[in-house]
Amino acid sequence: MASIRLENICKHYGDVVALDDVSIEVEDNAFFCLFGPPLSGKSTILKIILGLETPDSGSVFIDDRPMNGVSPAQRNVAMVFQNLALFPHMTALQNVRFPLVERKIAEDVIAARVDEVTKKLHMQHILHKPPSQLSGGERQRVAIARALVRDPVAYLMDDPISALDARLREETRVELRRIQREMNQTVIYVTHDQEEAMSVSDQMAIFEHGRVRQVGAPHDLYDAPASTYVAEMLGAPAINLMAAGGTALNAGRPVPQQAVQLGVRPEHLRVLKDGGNTQVSAIEPMGATTILTLNAGAETMKAALHGQPEFQVGESVSLSVDPAQIHFFDKNGDTLVAV
Amino acid sequence: MRRSLPFELLRYAMILLIIAISLVPTLWMLSMAFKPIAEWSASGAALTWWPENPTLDNFRFIFGQSSSELIVSLERTAARPIMASLLAAIVGTLIAMTAGTAAAYGLSRFGKGNNLPLALIQLRLFPPMAVMIPLMIMWSFLGLIDNWFGLAVVYGIVTLPFAFWLMKTFFDDMPREIEDAALVEGCTRLRVFAVITLPMMRPALASSALFVFIMNWSDYLIALLLTTRDWVTIPVYMTSLSSSMTGQLYGAKAALGLIAAIPPVILGIAIQKHLVRGLTFGALKE
Repeated sequence: MASIRLENICKHYGDVVALDDVSIEVEDNAFFCLFGPPLSGKSTILKIILGLETPDSGSVFIDDRPMNGVSPAQRNVAMVFQNLALFPHMTALQNVRFPLVERKIAEDVIAARVDEVTKKLHMQHILHKPPSQLSGGERQRVAIARALVRDPVAYLMDDPISALDARLREETRVELRRIQREMNQTVIYVTHDQEEAMSVSDQMAIFEHGRVRQVGAPHDLYDAPASTYVAEMLGAPAINLMAAGGTALNAGRPVPQQAVQLGVRPEHLRVLKDGGNTQVSAIEPMGATTILTLNAGAETMKAALHGQPEFQVGESVSLSVDPAQIHFFDKNGDTLVAV
Repeated sequence: MRRSLPFELLRYAMILLIIAISLVPTLWMLSMAFKPIAEWSASGAALTWWPENPTLDNFRFIFGQSSSELIVSLERTAARPIMASLLAAIVGTLIAMTAGTAAAYGLSRFGKGNNLPLALIQLRLFPPMAVMIPLMIMWSFLGLIDNWFGLAVVYGIVTLPFAFWLMKTFFDDMPREIEDAALVEGCTRLRVFAVITLPMMRPALASSALFVFIMNWSDYLIALLLTTRDWVTIPVYMTSLSSSMTGQLYGAKAALGLIAAIPPVILGIAIQKHLVRGLTFGALKE
């Protein structure tokens, strides 16, 4: 397996800036997520790593070797495309065999590899069918098998499981993570689903308009976001952001002078039934948690509470929070380092 | 949506009417091809749909130069024009499809933003006559007049824009990711074209080729100008099926027309299962 390093990648399509000075380092055997809203440059990064697109400036390094001028085939990186891109005129088996046949691998090696991978993905009963006769989930497995069957230096996956329904998606992402650990592979995974990104990745990069806003382990990004953008991208319900001078919440510690906004995650809010200046305006019991929507003057906040505590809509409550759990942001939305 | 019964009846009546109208000439040709001279000539009895004395005389006439019924005889049989038509139309189609497919692929993948596709179709805006006379002179210098190959080359050039445009829309519709996937899985550009793109395009190639072939097969003007004697094609030969004594030899013409209808029909049936659009059905997640 291999490490992948991007240095100062820029890419324009006409006047549109797709990537603006992106530098990322993916360690050997890491599960690395690229996470961001649609059209924020995540897929373009994959195409540049694959060699399907050439960056305007900057370089890609695989195991510290520069990839300038190296063809997609020679880079030996496997890819699961967002729309799967199966070959419609071939059966599932021919699709899976294709990368090995094209690399002129010996027939007995091909048979053994295909057998191993298709068993692992539980898809041996569908191998004789063309893609047109497969269900969405089965096509997904064919696409993943086609990537797994050879021995590439890394796997790239562009939102590969977005077509599945929610339940199958949860199962598949756990499965992908398991396969990645078992096979000791480097995976770069694109997703726009924050839950998926947080649950599978060792490291993740958060994108906005072709720029990387922050890179780190999911829990680090969650606990210590570098900006309001990152803070809002992660966590559901989203972080509560409010004006630093507001009275809704007692910060419990001195507010830094440059602080314009402060943020508190919904699960860190404590709601006290003591008739304070905050009203409960909606209650969403989710089973394991209950989400309260709270109005305090002009501010609206959400609190996520364990279990199913008893609250009434319209009830007056007060809020408190562990001072260590408050994030302070300056006028640019960047986090202020704790004073 | 369920429609009312009278509406459905009217619908089918209209469909039948249109079918009948378009089939009348074809059926008339079919009937006439098997009638003896007494039944198809103006001097004959009342015209009937069904031949009273079915005969193969008309076919014997065009292939054997004379017939017992007709006092006229032909200078040459239909065999050679049929071969000329087949050669010129098939080779012309191959030329147009090969060049058209290559051009369409290149411009669809790598020719973003230029006007070449439009320029190609504009070639067809010239009145054919304006081009044909200079072409005739060029061809006569090249010794390509009355030569099946000379005719095939012109057919290839004339139908190239159609082959190009048909194939280009198919290539434009093909998702880029399928070729990207093949590139990533170890193919070169050329290999992608050979093992992925072309096989996927089989239905598109078949329907475009049929279209181009029919255009070439039914040409009259070009063959009239570029062939004189040895390599006249079926439509040109057909005009010779008349005589000063009997006038138009309708029976013989019908027999030849029937033969001329065979190749497009066979081709059409052969590629019928390809004449559907679902090129990439199943390749992508829906």
